[in-house]
Amino acid sequence: MIVLATKEDILTNKIFLNAALPLVKVIANDVPSLAKKFEHTHAVIQISALDPEAPAGKVATHFVINAGEWLVHTDRVTKNPHIELEFKSIEAMNAFFKGKIAPSTLPKMRGIAKKTETFVSFMKVLLKMSALLGAKKAPEDEETKKLLVKCFFYLLSSGISQLNKNGHEAIHDWAKKSPDRVYAWAVDGYPEVSAYLRIKAGKSRAGRGEYKRAMPFFTLRFNNLDSALGILLSTDDMLEATKAGRLIMDGAPEFGAQVGEYMLTVAALAQG
Amino acid sequence: MAGGLTYTAVDSTALSTAEYYGKALCELGEQHPEVVALTADLGKSTKIGMFGEKFPDRFFNVGIAEQNMFGIAAGMAKAGLVPFLSTFSVFASLRSADQLHTDICYQNVNAKIIATHSGTSFGQAGSTHHAICDMAVCRSIPNLTVICPADGMETVNAVRAAYDNFGPYYIRINRGFDRVLYPNTDYGFEVGKAVQLHEGTDITVIACGSCAFQALQAANFLDSADGLKVRVLNMHTIKPIDREAILKAVMDTRRIITVEDHTVIGGLGSAVAEVIVESGKGCAFKQLGIQDKFAPIGLHEDIMSILGIDSNGIIDAVREVMGKDFELDDDWDDEV
Repeated sequence: MIVLATKEDILTNKIFLNAALPLVKVIANDVPSLAKKFEHTHAVIQISALDPEAPAGKVATHFVINAGEWLVHTDRVTKNPHIELEFKSIEAMNAFFKGKIAPSTLPKMRGIAKKTETFVSFMKVLLKMSALLGAKKAPEDEETKKLLVKCFFYLLSSGISQLNKNGHEAIHDWAKKSPDRVYAWAVDGYPEVSAYLRIKAGKSRAGRGEYKRAMPFFTLRFNNLDSALGILLSTDDMLEATKAGRLIMDGAPEFGAQVGEYMLTVAALAQG
Repeated sequence: MAGGLTYTAVDSTALSTAEYYGKALCELGEQHPEVVALTADLGKSTKIGMFGEKFPDRFFNVGIAEQNMFGIAAGMAKAGLVPFLSTFSVFASLRSADQLHTDICYQNVNAKIIATHSGTSFGQAGSTHHAICDMAVCRSIPNLTVICPADGMETVNAVRAAYDNFGPYYIRINRGFDRVLYPNTDYGFEVGKAVQLHEGTDITVIACGSCAFQALQAANFLDSADGLKVRVLNMHTIKPIDREAILKAVMDTRRIITVEDHTVIGGLGSAVAEVIVESGKGCAFKQLGIQDKFAPIGLHEDIMSILGIDSNGIIDAVREVMGKDFELDDDWDDEV
């Protein structure tokens, strides 16, 4: 029997395919020990889920790796990947990435025999991503802190954008009414972890780095990495952090509250 | 810096902008014996007559002879006096343009022109008495500092600053009462430095004179009605213009509207546009003001409404410019 995915399942899946999985590239690039493993790799790796409603019968994000250079093709199926992790449904993929690992949620794995080394390296990146995004407390070393904050900022900005593009009612309604505005996430002294979300009349685009074309309409700014992780890992209280100057809202607070709500929406869908 | 009198919001309900000027000039007169005043038979209208009543020996009514007044003032300044001369803006900038240019500015003498009834504030007197191009004329004359205060308190600051700084000044003020922007003079007035009245990152409205109050009202309305965050700059000094504030506004908001009770050719809007174009930075831009025509005759408030330089006109313009693209990038794919 074919069970059609719910709207919530589809939105969750879009977050995983288009906002979370692209972080694989960030991690593979930023962690030197992992980057080294792909220096001589030439491979196409796909993560997919069967979906009877999709034109290709499945939804997927795939990675093209050429000597350490990664290209990410979100929400796009390639027919002949060297390696593929194929889930039997988008619900199974969602459950797997939410950490609900069971026989029913495990993917089929193809191409491992021919590209064993690449597969192992890729799985190491996936495990690193899982460990990072599943962290309950802040890491000890600064490089990992930076990477984790960056990943969260990218995930949240892309996640909100994806929810808008895929018809999340409240977020799309908010974006539809908006003039051309940029919302940004930043940590003082670490411009490399910045991310932003540009919205305009229903359209949205998640971007990485600092938006320099104009002053962002609203910036959620943290005074250091630990302050950012306090909020992102929910070990700190937003009001207390604001009062103490760990979190600075550059812009109108009512818009900060809106973005905060949409960040929580992304987190709720991604974490279940 | 001159000091002494304290002006409050209560005063501003009782005084016209020109009366603030008259009081400030009397204050300067008390402290500085070299301050003298000249009028071309408009002592009462321009309120320079207040100085005449207090210091009759230092007050000169030259009759209806504006050009002579400018020449006499230049001579007085050459002799070490600090002449303040007042007439209507339209006469100060056009009828006396040659004397302003050659006697005052070419010689760079320490004379201060306080031009009243500026813009369309002399509404019912008719288009011949509207000073719609005085800032354009004065801005183009070397050595001349041009100030367009927003209200009575700012007029006091401008008059004091004119005394404190050597060289010719042209200060244009309105006839009658201006809406009160500042309850007192302590808000950090500095010649050549804009005052931010409202913070915002969606768009910047740069205004001068009575339009500054209208811009602030528009910003408050747009915040509550549309959720738009409008930065408002009171650009009281037209020359030298505050390049830094303009460029910051361009970089921060990328949308600029200028508002002035003056022709859009050569005034505040032109001065702002020059800074933007020279910087090479792009932005959406709109000038509100008199669009190369003579203004109609009527009450000042009605004229401002017809010209679209009141708060409603500014609200409409902000909504229009918010719909314009400043960002050429039309790629809406998320970065990965």
